[in-house]
Amino acid sequence: MSIFSFFRSAPRASAVQAKERLQIVMAHERAGRTGPDYLPMLQQELLAVIAKYIDIDQNKVEVKLDRGGDCSTLELNIELPAREAAAKALKESAKLAVAGNRPAAKDGDESDAVKLAAGGSLTNGGVKKRR
Amino acid sequence: MGKIIVMTSGKGGVGKTTSSAAFATGLALRGFKTVVIDFDVGLRNLDLIMGCERRVVFDFINVINGEAKLSQALIKDKRIDNLSILPTSQTRDKDALTREGVEKVLNELSKDFDYIVCDSPAGIERGALMALYFADHAVIVTNPEVSSVRDSDRILGVLASRSRRAEQGLEPVTQQLLLTRYDPERVERGEMLKVDDVLEILAIPLLGVIPESQAVLRASNVGMPVILDEASNAGQAYLDSVSRFLGEDVEHRFVTPQKKGLFSRLLRRSA
Repeated sequence: MSIFSFFRSAPRASAVQAKERLQIVMAHERAGRTGPDYLPMLQQELLAVIAKYIDIDQNKVEVKLDRGGDCSTLELNIELPAREAAAKALKESAKLAVAGNRPAAKDGDESDAVKLAAGGSLTNGGVKKRR
Repeated sequence: MGKIIVMTSGKGGVGKTTSSAAFATGLALRGFKTVVIDFDVGLRNLDLIMGCERRVVFDFINVINGEAKLSQALIKDKRIDNLSILPTSQTRDKDALTREGVEKVLNELSKDFDYIVCDSPAGIERGALMALYFADHAVIVTNPEVSSVRDSDRILGVLASRSRRAEQGLEPVTQQLLLTRYDPERVERGEMLKVDDVLEILAIPLLGVIPESQAVLRASNVGMPVILDEASNAGQAYLDSVSRFLGEDVEHRFVTPQKKGLFSRLLRRSA
């Protein structure tokens, strides 16, 4: 350290940038890694159960898993077919949400029980639970 | 029953083979019967680092294929009684590693040895997967550098999902970080990730920090595991790491810049 370095504004240490860049890219990669493992299977099985009772269009289904710090949500959006009796334009959407405090961690924590909370009818039965 | 340790990293050139050789030698020095296996089929190098390249007759792949007995392929180290090396093939490719074949060899070795150290190839393909699949302990070799840290994280994900222990729902593979090529002076100048930064990102326990050292190249030149150069920083850091692996509480050294006295400045001899 020379006396001149006191007057110079120190450039941001490259190691700090390295750490920040790593944290950002790895948060993203870890999130992507947790999904594909069991999600497609879960989606298929959930749909199979629902399809047993309601005639649904397999293409009008959306499954989303968001992992947060202490609360993660599994969101299932299914567009229900308009009933013959009901008005033609009627569009129903079912929303099932399940939450648990899974750690936003590594691959393969399938062991967590997934509870589905579905209200009597499937219309807008959004449920969020915090354990 | 022998314990299986995998030295892995994802990224190449971070010091897996150097660390495998040092670690296996260190365990043998502590009195454990130890064997070190080269999983880098086609790019064999452990034999050179261990200094037994001219004694290779049969290899790991020959044993897997039933072309040689395990006892014919194992090379006993000339310096240390408890240490053996199982070299790999230089001519075959990684497809020669079958899960059944590897399992058979590891089962046989674990009857005779206390520790089996698997030197993984780089990457996350067959060779690396086979090296880590049967592991009880994983030592993640990482350099304080962005691509190495990222690849180590990837390997941790693979260990947690594709190892035998993960697949069979057993107790997970223990994971420890070995941070190699650490330069405390560059860290102090803000040019290199700190130990704590890497620990924070990877979130696994620290086994050891091996300082950047000219002793590593000197040792590989002559085919001697660097842990046997007990005067060097790197050698001492590996000895400490082996002690920590065996459950001893040893303070981390070589993580802050050494204050150079006038004498060492004049001599300019770096360990």
